[in-house]
Amino acid sequence: MSILFLGTSSGAGKTTVCAMVCRYLSRNGVDVAPFKGSNLSLNSIATKDGGEIGMGQAFQAWAAGIEPETDMNPVLLKPSGKGVIQLVLNGRPYKNITKDDPMDRGMTLQEVKKAYDRMNERHRLVLCEGSGSPVELNLMDTDLANVGLMRVTGVPAILVGDIERGGVFAAIYGTWKLIPDELKPQMKGFIINRFRGDGSILRSAIGHIESLTGMKCLGVLRYEYLRFPEEDSLSSSDGKLEGNDVHTAFISNLDEMIAHAEEDGFDFDGLKKICGL
Amino acid sequence: MEKIVKKVNDEIKRGWLGPDHNCPYHPAHFTGQDCSFCYCPFFPCNDTTFGWELQGRHGAVWNCSDCLFIHRTPVVKFIYSEIERLGIEDAKDPRFNDIFKAAKERFWKKGKALMVVGATSDAGKSVTVAAICRILHDRGYLVAPFKSQNMSLNSKVTRTGAEIAMIQVLQAKAAGITNPDAHMNPILLKPKGDTVSQVMVCGKPFADYDVEGYYNEFVPGPGIEIVKEHVDFLKDRYDCVIMEGAGSPAEINIYDKDIANMRAAEIADANVILVVNVEWGGSFAYALGTVELIPEKDRKRIKGIILNNVRGNTENLRSGADRLEEITGIPVIGIIPHADVVLPSEDSEALRGVRSKGRGESLIGVIKFPRMANFTDLDPLFLEDVSTVFVEKPEDLKGVDAIVMPGTKNTVADYLWMQETGIADVIKGLWKKIPIVGICGGYQMMGKVLDDSNGIEAGKSAVYEGLGFFDNTTTFGEYAKQILRNEGKLAVGDGGEITGYELHMGISDVREKQPLVYLERFHADPVPEGCVREEDLTFGTYQHGIFDKPAFRKYFLSFVKHNGKPVDTSHAEDYDVTIEENLVKLAKVFEENMDVERLIDIAGVRE
Repeated sequence: MSILFLGTSSGAGKTTVCAMVCRYLSRNGVDVAPFKGSNLSLNSIATKDGGEIGMGQAFQAWAAGIEPETDMNPVLLKPSGKGVIQLVLNGRPYKNITKDDPMDRGMTLQEVKKAYDRMNERHRLVLCEGSGSPVELNLMDTDLANVGLMRVTGVPAILVGDIERGGVFAAIYGTWKLIPDELKPQMKGFIINRFRGDGSILRSAIGHIESLTGMKCLGVLRYEYLRFPEEDSLSSSDGKLEGNDVHTAFISNLDEMIAHAEEDGFDFDGLKKICGL
Repeated sequence: MEKIVKKVNDEIKRGWLGPDHNCPYHPAHFTGQDCSFCYCPFFPCNDTTFGWELQGRHGAVWNCSDCLFIHRTPVVKFIYSEIERLGIEDAKDPRFNDIFKAAKERFWKKGKALMVVGATSDAGKSVTVAAICRILHDRGYLVAPFKSQNMSLNSKVTRTGAEIAMIQVLQAKAAGITNPDAHMNPILLKPKGDTVSQVMVCGKPFADYDVEGYYNEFVPGPGIEIVKEHVDFLKDRYDCVIMEGAGSPAEINIYDKDIANMRAAEIADANVILVVNVEWGGSFAYALGTVELIPEKDRKRIKGIILNNVRGNTENLRSGADRLEEITGIPVIGIIPHADVVLPSEDSEALRGVRSKGRGESLIGVIKFPRMANFTDLDPLFLEDVSTVFVEKPEDLKGVDAIVMPGTKNTVADYLWMQETGIADVIKGLWKKIPIVGICGGYQMMGKVLDDSNGIEAGKSAVYEGLGFFDNTTTFGEYAKQILRNEGKLAVGDGGEITGYELHMGISDVREKQPLVYLERFHADPVPEGCVREEDLTFGTYQHGIFDKPAFRKYFLSFVKHNGKPVDTSHAEDYDVTIEENLVKLAKVFEENMDVERLIDIAGVRE
């Protein structure tokens, strides 16, 4: 079984929400593991088997109470400047990609699919994270981590929108609308992230988006002042965690976030249902 | 009156002049204005399109100080040709009435309005408005910026002593307007606490509202009328009003109560351009979702989309932009690359997550008050050879070579915050060792006493012991605000020129001997303001914008030393000049990447 969290933009909070759900499910005895088909990041860590994966998946793995492994992030793209990107495939440096020597999308998508299948064999639930926005009209055809993965695996998806910047309803509706029609049935729900204030003022708008899209709102997550490791270069916070034991601090941050979500009526049961649990 | 008649007679005799670059007040209204009729031959025209009756001490006076009509060259040339044709020699000639009617008939028409909305906050609306203002101004159109409702703690004072958002002042500068006024930002919301805002109407405090009260009482009551009145005022005087929306126009939960976006466009009968920030990704979804969630009757006003802030090659977005056009039926009129310009940012959200700025060796710690106000005061400082760290906790002060305590919307609350966090204690420890400057609220905190017996600031009656660097007592006596625009000279250092403006609750009783500045007063002696104790490296003033002119910046930085080495300020420039250069740069970026002809069509100003 698997589930995919998509974001309406970069920095919408996918990574953190995935980590929170990993923690929540593992606390409830579910064998859950994170996965991100393709990751554009310079923040990576070494796995115990000597591979390299994005930092976000490593933290999500710890949140799930398991060790990071290379299959959690089969494609890692590391910008090395001057238009050159290092492609790390299945945890190993594979080649340098340039404008004249681009990535073989067909081959990499196959590798993503294989890693996804292996993860599914080993774990009860594979919790996938998308990359950026899934509906960049100029990039969608060659996508790996979002609609690409949805197409080859049929995975159900949940959309995370960041309300802090404003325009979150437009972002959710616009993203859903631009998802190819044949994949729309896979779009099961949405989450509004980083809200400050009294959530009741959003109710009518949420209802409107639910009826327009058929997606269900799983909840409104509040703005968290907790510090999480930042996944990509767009986030400007230094991403340092307080305390000596990074893992402990991180996990207790997630527990606090889960407590807030429960307090705010986040629909964890609905989420489990979408996951097929 | 006789004096005016004589002046007009001289103008009639002299003939057409054009812009008077020799006049010390030039341009009193706008760049490129015609100065032939500094005194109007039609005064008082009593036409409310151009002026209004001001109730003065000695009865009603015709006030037409906002009139731009008489400063437009085609109008002026027409008047002179009529004067010549009719052989008029005297200002009192009754035929001026006919000339006035004919000139209005021929040259005046109601202005248009164009609105820029953003798919999100920080989409780039403000700079887009500034760029459009400059582009149209360069093409000879008289344009004015307008934002019906602005929530910002960054404001400036107009010539008439009104408070408006800093960003409209910047946009007015882009439009070549010399004296921006409160019509350009009739409603200003200044957040006081977490839920309450002070509502300023036309630049003066109106009342405090919480969110619910604002939307349920203010907006449907006075709100809509205020927007109508002021946008109409500007349309009478300008060819085009360039309006800026607030946040996203598609917040469907408050759509009917939103007077900052599509409702304002409806009131002004404006066409709308949607700006989307591409940097975060998801821009096509944001654009499409925004367009589609706006009800049909308003949606048809949206005539163009701008994809903004593109890093890398704009051509990469072309195919996506074409698809977006197809899907929405709205043309993408510009794909704008990230513009590397130095301009004040609109709200402190832009500082979100910013840990430090600048690359110089000397490190300046700026106390980041939770309710920090007018932080653009510091922008000119960032341009100098220094680094800045925004201080949110005591450790952030480690290694700083100077401290700036900026303004705040609530001095007492932020002073208490500074004590609770332990920042106050660290500052006290650094006192006399490194330079410390306080501006407005930060200056108030530097005194011995903060007297809030009336509970104006913190909501409860109390008197607080300040940092005690100056022998001052600040009393928050009543719910009243000081709003002043000032010019003057440094009372220390090289005595150079300074400009500033004051916006504060509370009055300080200053018992220090050495002021920081002398403020010039009309027909009166200069007024000392602020405090300096050079031997203690301690400086304080109420003047926002004190860093704008180079004099104080150079003076203050002369005390800032990193490992004994002072900051090099030999290149310090008037911030106004820097801003102007950057507006030119900004407009160029938009001009090169936007279909300007199409924009002019959308604005509806083409003859």
